[in-house]
Amino acid sequence: MSYQRTTQFSSRRDSNWNRNQNTTRFASNIKLGPVTHTVLVALMITVLGLIYLTQATRATGYDYEAQKIDSQIADLTTKKTDLEVENARLTALDNVQNSSVARQMTSPSETSYISE
Amino acid sequence: MQLDLKKGSRSYQLAILIVIIMAVFVVRLFYLQVIKHGYYVGLANNEQLKQLVIPAKRGEIYAMDGTSPVPVVLNETVYTVFADPKVITTSKEIIDTIQRVAGGNARPNLEGLLAKKESRYQILATKVTRKQAELMKNANLKGIGFQEESQRVYPEGQLAAQTLGFVNSEGKGQYGIEEALNDRLTGQDGLLQSVTDVSNVPLTIGNNNINKPAKNGDNVVMTVDRNIQAYSEKALAAGLARTKATNGSVMVMDPQSGKVLAMANLPTYSPAEFNKVQDAAAFNNSTITAPYEPGSDVKTLTMAVGLDKGVVGPNSTYNNTDSIKVEDRTISNATKGQTGNITFQHALNYSLNTGFVTVAERLGDGSNITLQARNTMYDYFHNKFGLGEKTGIELANEAKGTVISPTDEDGGAVRYSNMAFGQGLDVTMVQVCTAFSTIINGGTQYKPTVLAGTTNDDGSVFTPAPAKPAQSGVISPDASNTIRIMVHDARSAFYASSDRKGYYIGGKTGTSQTLENGKYVDDQTVGTYLGYGGDSQATPKYVIMVQVSGKHMNLAGNTDAMPIFTDISNWMIDYMKLQPKG
Repeated sequence: MSYQRTTQFSSRRDSNWNRNQNTTRFASNIKLGPVTHTVLVALMITVLGLIYLTQATRATGYDYEAQKIDSQIADLTTKKTDLEVENARLTALDNVQNSSVARQMTSPSETSYISE
Repeated sequence: MQLDLKKGSRSYQLAILIVIIMAVFVVRLFYLQVIKHGYYVGLANNEQLKQLVIPAKRGEIYAMDGTSPVPVVLNETVYTVFADPKVITTSKEIIDTIQRVAGGNARPNLEGLLAKKESRYQILATKVTRKQAELMKNANLKGIGFQEESQRVYPEGQLAAQTLGFVNSEGKGQYGIEEALNDRLTGQDGLLQSVTDVSNVPLTIGNNNINKPAKNGDNVVMTVDRNIQAYSEKALAAGLARTKATNGSVMVMDPQSGKVLAMANLPTYSPAEFNKVQDAAAFNNSTITAPYEPGSDVKTLTMAVGLDKGVVGPNSTYNNTDSIKVEDRTISNATKGQTGNITFQHALNYSLNTGFVTVAERLGDGSNITLQARNTMYDYFHNKFGLGEKTGIELANEAKGTVISPTDEDGGAVRYSNMAFGQGLDVTMVQVCTAFSTIINGGTQYKPTVLAGTTNDDGSVFTPAPAKPAQSGVISPDASNTIRIMVHDARSAFYASSDRKGYYIGGKTGTSQTLENGKYVDDQTVGTYLGYGGDSQATPKYVIMVQVSGKHMNLAGNTDAMPIFTDISNWMIDYMKLQPKG
């Protein structure tokens, strides 16, 4: 038993050909030989290497940024500590007792208590 | 393409030679990269990897200012200025700048130091502040370097010097809380291991980087109140000036919690200049490190034992003949003439030794200080009150003292008769203060402490320390109430006029003989006063103990130590805002 094609098969793409009439089938006539392939692979490796180097350099650049920020933090922390020390010195009992405000204070002549 | 080299041809020989050379390279590379891999990785790491220690910040120390912590020990970054004389060309400019900016911190003879051209390192100034260092850096002096270091600063100067201690040149705490809590204050250094560039900037490349942050030391808060401490030091200094005593100590304690509010000692020193101290005795906090025979203030403890055991009461009587015989020894009163049938309150008022030897006898069979009496006294003094044992206060070099056990060869009736009036035992002020607080606060023993808690890194959040376990029922509340009244009456009998009206103050004098080469001497006594105060009879608010002494000086509790107590006590009433009652 044999079958005979009754109608010509056309693919969907072929049937839509009119709709996609700007598309073209490209078939280059240039053939690449082994030397070209080698050069292209070498170029690709070079490009990848350059990309890696760029990224690594950029990461190192961030390290310098981080270092700069760390230095600023350390500097500000030192300044803050200095201010805390200065604040503690200025509010130390001796300084308070010898201040002009304290010198003008007098003992009360009479003390009254609010009953609890 | 197929190479078809004829054997023996020059091309063939060249190919063989190249293969051999390549084989040598391969073998050499295999040796270097595989066999010697570890060695060369180690060399590379040594060259590229840097290990930097991240120093932990030493914890700061705070004291209380009422209810708020205030810093009394801080850290400050200072710089050592050094020069490389070999590269210096402008000596005059450098000398002018350093002398102008560093002032007293500049070393003498800068010209001579800079003239030592064979040297590559000469220190020109030390302990230069950050501001001063910046001014020098801005002058762009060639050949000058700065070395950063951290030092302790004491904004309150000499305040509580012996309680604080200091940090030595190796960064280790010495004496006081600095030594006792050295591990907590030190923290843990961090570690940064990283590939670095030529300027030592850490880079993220590499697989062996470690960044372990430093753990800063704890910021600790002391229970010591800086105002009470300052006033105690002032009152003690005034007292010593008045009495000409050379040494003195004051301890102020909260009897309701065991918190130490002040510990003052004279002579003292400045912790910032600890290296200038001539006599290392100034470093000692005598309130915890110097056991002594406290004298008659211990009569309050003996009386409390008698009251708790129910063998005596304030109005119980005994026949005072101004002396009492214990075995082959006769013990006499310092104050004569109060003879006859007198009460124990009377004996306490006049500090009569015979009265308290009698209490000790009544703890036994009534007329002898038997083993039972001695065991009872030892149980109270040593086991319950904690005399002769370290209290565990968070300060370095606490001494234990000595309370001789009745089972000891020296623990006989004579020893215990002396102990009844405060001789024959060596105890520290902190032990006596703790015991006294116990007998007047209702009978609860609180462990003395100087540690109030901790703060966060910037000191803004205070976290109180957990309370130490307390032992209640050391003596009964009734006995405690009675002894509190008796001590009040003892003070009121002679010194009521010196106290502020409307407050409830009690206290007991102590004048103790001292031992020189194992023998009591007549020309040297220590004056002590131990008392409490508050606005009500039921709840004393503070306990103050004062001790004054001097080489070959006869100092007495009532004339030399008591006025210092009174001064501090009257000031405490205002400071604690206590209202008069009654």
